[in-house]
Amino acid sequence: MSAMVPIEHSLILAFLLFFIGAAGVLIRRNLITVLMSIELMLNSANLLFVAASRQVGNVEGQVMMSFVILIAACEAAIGLAMVIAIFRRYGNIKTEFLRALRG
Amino acid sequence: MIWMVLLFPLLGALLNGFLLPRRSKLLSHGVAVAAVAGAFACACCVFLEFFATRHSHLYFGFNWLQAGKFTAPFELVVDQLSGLMILIITGIGTLIHIYAGGYMKEEVTTYRFFAYLNLFVFMMLLLVLGNNLLVMFVGWEGVGLCSYLLIGYWFQEEANAKAGMKAFLVNRIGDIGFLIGIFLTYKHFGTVSFSELSSWMNLMPTLAEPYPKALFWITLSFFIGACGKSAQLPLYVWLPDAMAGPTPVSALIHAATMVTAGIFMMTRLSFFFYAAPDTMLIVACVGALTALFAATIALVQTDIKKVLAYSTVSQLGYMVLACGVGAFDAGVFHLLTHACFKALLFLGAGSVIFAMHHEQDMRRMGGLRKHLPITHGVMLVGVLAIIGVPGFSGFFSKDEILWKAFIFPTYGPILWGIGFLAAGCTAFYMVRLLCLTFYGTPYQDKSAHHHHHPHETPWYMWGPLVVLALLSIGVGYLGVPDFLAHLVGGHNLFAHYLEGLIYIPASAQGAWGHLHAEHAHELEWGLMLSSVALVTLAAGTAVFCYTNRPVRGVASFLGGHFPRLHQLLLDKYRVDECYQRKIVTPLAEISTFLWQVVDVRVINGCVNWVGYLLMGTSGIASFRMTGSLHRYGFWVLAGTVCVLIISCF
Repeated sequence: MSAMVPIEHSLILAFLLFFIGAAGVLIRRNLITVLMSIELMLNSANLLFVAASRQVGNVEGQVMMSFVILIAACEAAIGLAMVIAIFRRYGNIKTEFLRALRG
Repeated sequence: MIWMVLLFPLLGALLNGFLLPRRSKLLSHGVAVAAVAGAFACACCVFLEFFATRHSHLYFGFNWLQAGKFTAPFELVVDQLSGLMILIITGIGTLIHIYAGGYMKEEVTTYRFFAYLNLFVFMMLLLVLGNNLLVMFVGWEGVGLCSYLLIGYWFQEEANAKAGMKAFLVNRIGDIGFLIGIFLTYKHFGTVSFSELSSWMNLMPTLAEPYPKALFWITLSFFIGACGKSAQLPLYVWLPDAMAGPTPVSALIHAATMVTAGIFMMTRLSFFFYAAPDTMLIVACVGALTALFAATIALVQTDIKKVLAYSTVSQLGYMVLACGVGAFDAGVFHLLTHACFKALLFLGAGSVIFAMHHEQDMRRMGGLRKHLPITHGVMLVGVLAIIGVPGFSGFFSKDEILWKAFIFPTYGPILWGIGFLAAGCTAFYMVRLLCLTFYGTPYQDKSAHHHHHPHETPWYMWGPLVVLALLSIGVGYLGVPDFLAHLVGGHNLFAHYLEGLIYIPASAQGAWGHLHAEHAHELEWGLMLSSVALVTLAAGTAVFCYTNRPVRGVASFLGGHFPRLHQLLLDKYRVDECYQRKIVTPLAEISTFLWQVVDVRVINGCVNWVGYLLMGTSGIASFRMTGSLHRYGFWVLAGTVCVLIISCF
């Protein structure tokens, strides 16, 4: 059995992944990229679950991670379907065209 | 059996209304006649069954309305009054239905006509049979509706549609009175059932406050209702206009049955009216004035149906006068005789109009006796009956009313005098109608177009007329006044028949003692002979004035020397114009003000102003709502971070 990766490393990686994802959501103008960034944020949470599971020594975190992957798959399917619908409606998938919420 | 009476006309109306449209006209007519004739047969059975015992019988249908302590069952009553009424309605209704088939032969939508007519018969039967005020009110409104539909039967012409609306709206004013009467009755007596009200009034030896006062208002409200339906002053204006409908409708609804609903209702509630002497005086005055007022208008009218319409108003005035002086039996008797002879006169006028190709102006008629011998014969009987020639039915009924008016303690002779004058006018205008139409020289049309010779109507049109003519003579002998009947050792059969129904409540016996007091027969003979003399004089004058053309003698003398009076009568006292100016126009102006100013400016203005204000000010609050997803995402993230930071410390 190889040497354990310290929990701090996993935490820092998860933290970095989350903020890269958040920055992607906030900055990128392409809806598909935004969806990918959301996946990134979800995966940072998964990483945290797995690391914590290993640290504590039970499998609950891993079970949780499986659920998240499952939900993420569904979310991706629905999200992509919505992107296609938006493309059909507006002719492109740039976020600056989606301004129906303007007051 | 009683339910069959109601069911037949309803079935006829439904069949004609929904199943038979645009099928054969003969079928429509057949179904309608069969429905009413069936109802008549059943009504005869019901009546004979009742007549054998003379005990009023209640027929419980179902529990119609129930709210708290208030109940209004759907319950019918057969007694002296409703038994008689169903015979009149279905009997005369059958004759008029038969006649209508010929009169409406050229119409396209006969099924619609017969559906309305059958529905009318159903509603009228409901009105007279109901044992409580609410069932009566359903019938009351139902006949109003049918009247509206039938007046406006030829609705393609705007005048007819307007006449229908006028009838409906004027009747609404009366209906409000009726409704208030029902409310007040329930408030003070806690029931709307006739049998319960009647026994309550019967058992009360004296009436303590607040009942006398309450009864005054209750009876006054009901009388306003009766004024609307029975075309009394000041609500009579709809009836002359109602002549826009087909003539059989005028005969059935606006002469024989519906317009007598007011008299029927007052007789039903006679125990209330007897206990309210103040209202009775008002009723008597209104009746007498209406009788004279309408009779004077009829003197100069030239439209044959208009003359008959004003004559109907006048005769209804007599009936109301009879109710007002406490002689409800005489009123109902006149209702019966009037139903016969006025239906006869209207149908006869219909035959004339039919033969003249829808010409209604009497000045364009004349000499029709040769062409329409049967119609002339029956019309002559009808005229003799209405003007009260001895031996004909109108003589007995009108004379009884005038006599009862004369012995009325308050203003009795004055009321009698007004009725007496009206009787003279009646004789004059009815004989004038007869002369202008049937005698003299035929009208020569100056314009080139060639006239067909008028022909006698087919048998199914004159047949009913002959039956009605026989009735117009015959029914009078049911109610020969006592002093005449004593000569042959009898008594007034009709009054005796109604005795069980119309009674003076114990608390009001004192005020109505004169009705049963002994009076000198010489006086009665004198009054009778004087009215016969007046009728003879008036009829003779009319014959003298109108048999030869051009119109000469007294009438043209009066018309020439009192042009303003003549014009006033021709303009029907300008009552319609007065109502238009004093009521309709101000009402329309107020409504326009409420619509254009109050509704559009004030109410709409307020609501819109609030909306505009919010739209204007909401910009201040919504400047952050840019619609940019990224910015929203940023604030979500920033907020989450803030919450985390705060929760850490």
